[in-house]
Parts: sequence; C-alpha cells; structure tokens
Amino acid sequence: MERAGIPTALLCNLVGIAQRVGAPRIVPTRGIPYPTGDPSLDRERERAYRRRLVEQALVAISTPVSEPTIFDSALTAQEA
Amino acid sequence: MRVVHYLNQFFAGLGGEDQAGTPPTLREEPIGPGRRLQALIGEHEIVATVFCGDDYAAGTPGAAEQILALARSAGAELIVAGPAFTSGRYGLACASVVAAAAREGLPALASMHPENPGIEEAGGAPVIESGATGREMAVSLERLAAATVKLAAGEPLGAAEGRVGKLPRRNVLVSESAAARAVELALARLGGDREATEIPLPSVEHITPAAPIADPGQALIAILTEGGLVPAGNPDRLESARATKWVRYEIAGLDSANAPDFQSVHGGFATTWANEDPNRMLPLDVARELEREGAIGRLHSEYFSTAGNGTPVASAKRFGIEWAAELHKANVAAVVLTAT
Amino acid sequence: MQRIVHDVRSVEFGEQTRFEGGHLCVARSEVTSLCSDPSLATVRASWVSPGESARIVGPLDAVEPRAKGRGSAGGVFPGFVAPALPGGAGATHVLRGSAVVVAGFLPRAQEAVIEMSGEAAALSPLAATHNLVIEFEPAPDAPWEEVEAALRRGALRLAAHLADAALDAEPDAIEELPGLAAPDPGGPPRAALVVNLQTQGAFKDVFVYGRSMAGALPTLIEPGELEDGAVVSGQYGHPGLKNPTYLHQNNPVIAALRARSDVALGALILCPEPVDQATKELVSAHAARLCRACGVDFAIVTKEGGGNADSDMALKMDMIEDLGMPAVGLFAEMSGPDGTGAPLVAPPARATAMVSTGNYDERIALERVERALGRERIALADADATAALELPTAVIYAALSPLGWGRLTCRELGQCA
Repeated sequence: MERAGIPTALLCNLVGIAQRVGAPRIVPTRGIPYPTGDPSLDRERERAYRRRLVEQALVAISTPVSEPTIFDSALTAQEA
Repeated sequence: MRVVHYLNQFFAGLGGEDQAGTPPTLREEPIGPGRRLQALIGEHEIVATVFCGDDYAAGTPGAAEQILALARSAGAELIVAGPAFTSGRYGLACASVVAAAAREGLPALASMHPENPGIEEAGGAPVIESGATGREMAVSLERLAAATVKLAAGEPLGAAEGRVGKLPRRNVLVSESAAARAVELALARLGGDREATEIPLPSVEHITPAAPIADPGQALIAILTEGGLVPAGNPDRLESARATKWVRYEIAGLDSANAPDFQSVHGGFATTWANEDPNRMLPLDVARELEREGAIGRLHSEYFSTAGNGTPVASAKRFGIEWAAELHKANVAAVVLTAT
Repeated sequence: MQRIVHDVRSVEFGEQTRFEGGHLCVARSEVTSLCSDPSLATVRASWVSPGESARIVGPLDAVEPRAKGRGSAGGVFPGFVAPALPGGAGATHVLRGSAVVVAGFLPRAQEAVIEMSGEAAALSPLAATHNLVIEFEPAPDAPWEEVEAALRRGALRLAAHLADAALDAEPDAIEELPGLAAPDPGGPPRAALVVNLQTQGAFKDVFVYGRSMAGALPTLIEPGELEDGAVVSGQYGHPGLKNPTYLHQNNPVIAALRARSDVALGALILCPEPVDQATKELVSAHAARLCRACGVDFAIVTKEGGGNADSDMALKMDMIEDLGMPAVGLFAEMSGPDGTGAPLVAPPARATAMVSTGNYDERIALERVERALGRERIALADADATAALELPTAVIYAALSPLGWGRLTCRELGQCA
C-alpha cells in the first residue's frame, strides 16, 4: 500500500520483523492478541490507551519518513 | 522465434480502471508498446498479443494459465510481459504469467521496476528492470528488447542484462572442497574481511515510503486488520491459517466493533481478548470518536480483513496489491493497519 | 600418529580374505560370520566399484576399513569393536579407496542414493570407493533397534577385519598426522573445529565411544581419536546432509587445515545437537567457552541435519564471535527447486561468514543403470531402483556434506567466481 502511495501506519507487536520487512511507519503495540488493546487495564483506561494509539497512527501517516520509523510516545510503558 | 507479448488493458488501449475486469483476449499482432518492441527485436516476430484487465489477471485463480494457453494457441515460443513499471496488479500479472511459462519450460521474461511488489511472483523466470513510470517506456523497451534477443538465443540473463529481483542460486561444482573454502574464509575474516561469505544474509527489503498526508482531519482514512476479524459466524469462511483470500465488510453507521457481532478467526494466537472486545483488533470505537471530533476527516465505509497466519509472503504481497487497488478506487488517502 | 595407507585398486570374493598388491579379496563366509546376529535373518555381500553402471539405494552407514598396527595401543571403533578407551596414537592401517556400506530399509531412514557413475557420482564420496555392500533381511519379530545395532556392529567388525588383512602388506604411503597444535605466539593461527552431532534417539543418533551424546555438554578430543573411529554414525535422516562414519574417520576440515602451513588445528570439540532452545543455548555457550579456554584464534563449525541443526550453528557462531574469535559455518541451502527461495531459515545474526555446500532442493537427473543394490524400488520417485530418475540433490548420499567433503557451492545466475 505504501508503494502504491497510501501512507500506512502498521500497529504491531513484533517491531523487529516490521523493520526487517521494511514497513516504513510502525506503531508498537502491547500484545499480539490485542493490537489496539490492553486487557490489564480497566475498560476506561484501555479505551483511552486505544485512542492515543490511533492518534499516534495519525501522526505516522502525516509524517514524512525515508526508512522504517517507529512512532511511539512511550505508550508501551505500563501505566500505574 | 515466435514471440507473444502480454499487456494489460491500459497499454492495450482499451481503457483504465473501468476495463480492469477484461478477461484474457488474443489479437494476432503487436499492439501499443508491442509495435516499438517488434521494431527492436528484429528477426523475432511478435505473432500475437494477449491482453487482460489487471483485476482479472491479478485476482482470478488460474488467470495466468488461461493467458498462457491463449499465447500457446497463437504458437508462442517465447513470452514477453510488460513493461509494468510500478503498477502492482500489472506487475503481479506479468510475473505470474512468466512464472507459469517457466514451469512449462517455455522461455519467458517480464519487465517491471525493481520495487514493483509483484516481482517475487516471477519465481525463477527473469525480470528485467524497467523505469518507474510510462514516461520511461522508450528506454525500458530497449532494455527489454535486448534481453529478449539474448533469451531467444538461449543465453542466461544476469545483472548485466538488467535482471532484477531474486537471482536464482544454482549448484556449481568448484575445484576446492567446502572444507578448504571454510579455512580460506576463516583466514580472510581473521585478517579483517568481515564481508566475505558464500551465503548472503537476508537483506532488509527496501520500500520507498509514500508521502505523508497533509492533515488527517481532511482525509478519508481506512482502518484494516490482519487479525482475522470478521462478522460473527465468519460468513465468507475466512481461513484461520494459510489464508487464500481477504474479506471486506461495511462499517458505515457502526460506532463500535461490538461483541458478539464480531469475532477473530485467526489461528495464530488466543482470540479470547479480541472476541471479548473486537475494538482491540479493529479500533472502530475510538476511530469514530476521532472522526466526530474532526481529527479524522472521514472513516472509510468498509474495512478489509485477512488472517496472517502461515501466509506465504507471496500471498500477503498479493493481498496488499489488491487492497491498494481497491483503496485507490475509493480515494482512500491513508490506512491504519492492525497486525498480530 | 601415523596413517599407513594401502590403496585398494581391485576387489573380488574368494576363499579367503586377503590383501595383496592393491587387490582385496573377501571371503563371503567371513562376512556372514562377522555380521551374524539373532536379529538378522540373512546378510548378503556384493562388490560395487567406481565407474560401474550401478546404484546403491537406501545406503545406511559407510565405514572405511581400518585397523591398528601390531604394537599400537588400543584398537579401532572403541566402544563397539575395541574397548572404549581413547586411542589416536601409534599407527593405523587404512584400506584407502574402499568402504563397507550397509544398505536396505530401516524405519526413519530417509531414502538415499549413491550413484557409481555419471554426473551424480561426483557428488558422493562413496562413489569413488570400492564398496562392499551389505544387504540384509531382518529376523521375523526382531525389534528394528536391534536390527540396526546388529548391522552397525557387523559393519564395524567387517571394516576392522578387512584392514587386518593389510597389516603385513607393503604400504603405498605413510602419512604423519600431527596432533593438536599448542598455543605458540610465533606460530600460525590456530583453529577450533566444532563438530555438531545429531542426538535425536533411535536411528538419528551419533555415537562417541559407543555412547550417545544426548544430554551431554561439549567435550574435547584429539584428531587421532576420530581417525580410530571414536565417532560412529547411527543417523539415517537427510541423506544429502548425512555424515557417515567414513567422513568422521576422514574429517575434511582437519584435512584442509593440515594441507596448509599457515594454519593449525588447536582444538577439536564435539557437541550434541539438542532439540530444545534452552539446551541449544547452553551447549552453544559452553562450546564457545571451550574455544576460548583453548586459546584458539578462530573457529569452524559443522553440523548434521537440516534447519533445526542450523539454529545450533547460528547460536555457536554468534557466541564464538561474541567472545572475540571469528567463526565460519558450513551450511546447505534450501532455496527451493528454482533457487529463488531464502537460502537459510535460521542464519546467524552477527557471524556472517558462511560456506555454502549447495542447494538441497535443486533437482538432478540420473540415467538408467544396469544394477541396483539395497532396495528394489525408489519410493520417492515411485520407480524401479534402476530407472532413469529426477531427484532433488538432497537424496544423493552426503552430496551437501556438512563436514565439507563436497565441492558443491551455490552461485547466483550470471555471477562470476
């Protein structure tokens, strides 16, 4: 899709693989089974985390990049 | 040699996207760029052109074999496909056709840009480098013609002829044993040469990133997933592993991906969390919120889904090419893709 | 130690086992008695020689006839024939150009082929030897493990017995084999050879002094111990990637090191190939430490088996490099029939110097032969054993020799040397 000119934010857990296959816009997630989730949080906090993740994705698709780039505003850090 | 040329609907002069469903068709003469190609390959005759719509060629199972059969019916002794430049479905079609020809022992070569996502479909068949766009047709045809003449003469095509994509690795008997070569290689490395090796490490694939969109608040954005999320009951039977297809469903008017309306059928991880709250796989709830607030201009009315579990790379590439084509048709500007 | 080399130039069966003037004669009755065992109903011997229009189908192990000279301490094949004690000193007689090859069906034994003439002959070390082929029928109800053990004992006894016939013959060559080189600041760089042995249980095990190394940590031995048959193969998978006893006796990397004066063998390390990740890491880390303890300048690592064994290779090479010693590994490629697939499933991350022993999947054409031994049909090709066939290179015995015997490598189409 990137090659076709459609900027694509890839939300994934295995960041190393994404880099190796050359995905230009990578947003790290907290777990394979829940890319836009975190079951360790209560519903409200999880939804807030999900929103920030998608906002990060919007940053990624509106940022110029030249090589695999990770977009992560310390979202992967666990919250209190 | 009797050459048959493969073109897509656009270069055959039929039209654009509206003709992308055209089935394989035979015309017993060179068409469009084929005329210039004929002039360049001299004594070899382009006895026919087979053209086909990009959607049909890239999306219909058995299309490559159908195209090949038509070419053979015109007496093809050698097949030339393209140039496909960076056009994904066209590149995929050209690569599939030459791969099918190679499997049947028919000499064949394709032309496309090295970054065309379809390039790996060609398998062991040669792909010759073309420019990135149709503006470079003339120089691309010259290189393709030269390679065609060499192939017709039974000569191997390598980097010197503009060959791109995976070069096949072939067994060769050399004068030194592997053991002797290992000693030699070790001494070289000890002496400071850290590059020498007989087996290259896999290289990081290079993808030229798309330009960013200026403002997501003005853009049509799609949310897609590789996590196997489908409507409850999996109506179109998306496979849990080695998926052979992708599926698409309407989300217009939906504010959230609610259980029990959705489920994940991905076989590569425990789907309990995604099934509990499908927004953990397809973030529809927050995407709608962002759309309402103007942070996302508009959310695309569909989402696409497949299951990336044991999927051959070639299939995944094909899905990506097809998604790109569909998104282009719908004027989608950017994508948020969740992966597992 | 010394290798006393007797070249075998012609072979036959006769009344007595004799070796004279390069001619080896074997008494069938002795083959029968040396291989006799309750788990074997019948045993049949045939000679097949290089250049013949012949094919051995289902070769299992191959052993080079060797015996210790009179007055030499110990014996050959310790743990099976001789008592299990380290040998590797004194003189060892070798019937060069001959081998005992057991052939037939065993469970888990993947079908292999040795082609004695034609293009494929260049790919197997056993195509260049006069082979005493031992075919067999198991006794009814004999457990396969016992059949296999009996075949092994029989082949090793036979190999020692044949070489005994040459003890008094005038040698064709005497080869002085240096032991391990001690650390020497003024001397040439010293190599560690790290030999990974498959240890996956019945029919997929390799014996050291008659014992499996499964569950063991790496150990150090001397090259002479290999010469005297301390390592014996009981591994019958992956024909192209097999290390027969014959190649343990004639280790190609040690030979390559000895052929040069600008390098020496400083350490010889045997390691099991564990089947779980944690143990692989332990064994590999330990092997790297042994390399360091021996003060070697670099290491060469070999394996046995396919992709699983590659992960042992990768771990060892990276860990050895992390300790400051360059490492080189010998790998076979699995690039698919057209050679465009990824060569390796589990390459090393930092130790990037690898030798290719060829592409496993590339197909090779074999012509029809007049005679086949071992089995009557080739199940893989669903054909008669003598038929003309097309097979992956993987089926040719030791063609991708992980010990480095072969001269195959992979080149990209259009690439020059």
